[in-house]
Amino acid sequence: MADQVDLSVSLGRGLRLRSPVMVASGTFGYGFDAHGADRTALGAIVTKGTTPGAREGNAPTRIAETPSAMLNAIGLQNPGVDHVVRVYAPKWATWDVPVIVNVAGDAVDDYVAVARRLDGVAGIAGLELNISCPNVANGLQFGVDPRMAAQLTAGVRAVTRLPLLVKLTPNVTDIVAVGRAVEDAGADGVSAINTYLGMAIDIRRRRPVLSRGSGGLSGPAIKPLALHAVWELAAALRIPVVGVGGITTAADALEFLLAGAAAVQLGTVNYVRPQAVREIHDGIAAYIAAHDLRHLGALPIRQARVEAHV
Amino acid sequence: MSLALAPAVVVQRSTPMRDAIELVVHHPPSAAAVKPGQFFQLAVAAPQTILRRPYSAAWADPQGGRIGFIFNVVGAGSGWLAVRHEGHELDLLGPLGRGFSLEGERPVICMAGGLGVAVFPGVVQALVARKRRVTMLLGARTSSQLLPADRFTGADVLTATDDGSAGYHGSVVNLFTSTLRGRVGVEAVDILTCGPTPMLQALIENVRQLGLPLESIQVALETPMGCGVGTCLGCAIPRAGGGYLLSCIDGPCVRADRIDWGRMTDAFHG
Repeated sequence: MADQVDLSVSLGRGLRLRSPVMVASGTFGYGFDAHGADRTALGAIVTKGTTPGAREGNAPTRIAETPSAMLNAIGLQNPGVDHVVRVYAPKWATWDVPVIVNVAGDAVDDYVAVARRLDGVAGIAGLELNISCPNVANGLQFGVDPRMAAQLTAGVRAVTRLPLLVKLTPNVTDIVAVGRAVEDAGADGVSAINTYLGMAIDIRRRRPVLSRGSGGLSGPAIKPLALHAVWELAAALRIPVVGVGGITTAADALEFLLAGAAAVQLGTVNYVRPQAVREIHDGIAAYIAAHDLRHLGALPIRQARVEAHV
Repeated sequence: MSLALAPAVVVQRSTPMRDAIELVVHHPPSAAAVKPGQFFQLAVAAPQTILRRPYSAAWADPQGGRIGFIFNVVGAGSGWLAVRHEGHELDLLGPLGRGFSLEGERPVICMAGGLGVAVFPGVVQALVARKRRVTMLLGARTSSQLLPADRFTGADVLTATDDGSAGYHGSVVNLFTSTLRGRVGVEAVDILTCGPTPMLQALIENVRQLGLPLESIQVALETPMGCGVGTCLGCAIPRAGGGYLLSCIDGPCVRADRIDWGRMTDAFHG
């Protein structure tokens, strides 16, 4: 019975996913080394953050486990947008799962350059603006100031017809203000949230564990925080909210969908249980079927604004 | 790459040397696929842990479908593994990464510091099967922490202990240097090593002083690791000439001349 449940979802501007289960930027590479992950259960792949030129990333140590979470400071290691267009996109064009490129940079011009380069390229289904990377110089600046976030979104909107998600940082006082700003600037949806700034210290060596001192915290520890952000954003925005942060089980994903998320992204769990994509997809389908809900749009606890994205 | 994502069953648990645990698991596809120096990502269910733990296979028995893992308790994950017993299931992801290159005919010196020995029983067995002459150098703080020499059948085993309780009194690197000094044909050996970063640093320095090429050394790296399959980019190792290697897919066994040892020290030692 769960097989007949309609799990499709629209993220706006023609971007329709057959499943609400996406994989989060940085946790699935460019989709080519997905050991054990079942692509047929995936709604979309969001790629590693991609910059105009190739980047080598930060010095080690880049990751550390903390209670029910992990810190990372990878530093946007990526091959650059030209490589993505020449080598990856032609392969994506043959896949039956949409690929959304996460776009990163240090300045508005970087984001605009990457977006312009990707516009109209076969195999690219959408963009996700990373205005919230804590691990590069200036990475957070666009995400913490509603005016700058809007300026960046508008700049990219002007050069692309692709569906445009903006990934918000939780390292702000008022995430809803940033969400509203990017909505008004032309975003088709927001992804909430990116990692929380955090750190760990090696008491034996008396220095931070990560080479950059701090990094981004992800994993089950941040799930209640992410859920709260999604709950607030879903109530305030007209565009879809994609929930991300510590989702490990179908029950976790359902909490986000009930909170008003149109779709979810799996992140850290991809490192541990590649089969989680399939398990969570099937768990959502079973829940919808068991509760006789017919489709995902019936899930959100507060129904007021969801019609726009189902 | 062949990947096994299926439960393995612990068939034996023992203490092969002081402060170490050896788990033998039954998992025929992994035992058939793993090559010396490759690793598995072991899922652990200790409270508040989330990531898998990378462990090199100590040895494999393809006929019996068994793999051995040797480790010590350093944290919550290894603490959880240490209390697995016969009949418990383990979730293995692997075999992963690049093992040692065992090609060639030159004599081989294997050199292990501390728990770095955990990768060598299977390596030595494979080398001996290839009719290569093997000298196994074992270093530990004290004699009770040495893996017994009978785990390296067919190899000459030399030991070094910090406290002089067995074999050479001093570091395994000094044992290595004194073993090689004056020996005819030292330039024609291959060196396979695993151990703490300071030991590796000392080895590299000594090898340079002896005038041996770094190309003759292969290092099994032990670095913090996230996914183990090249996705998270968390296990970067400074690459000679700039940029980074990933320990999980470019290694864990890497030729020493591919590593920038200066930046390696900054990252993992000091």
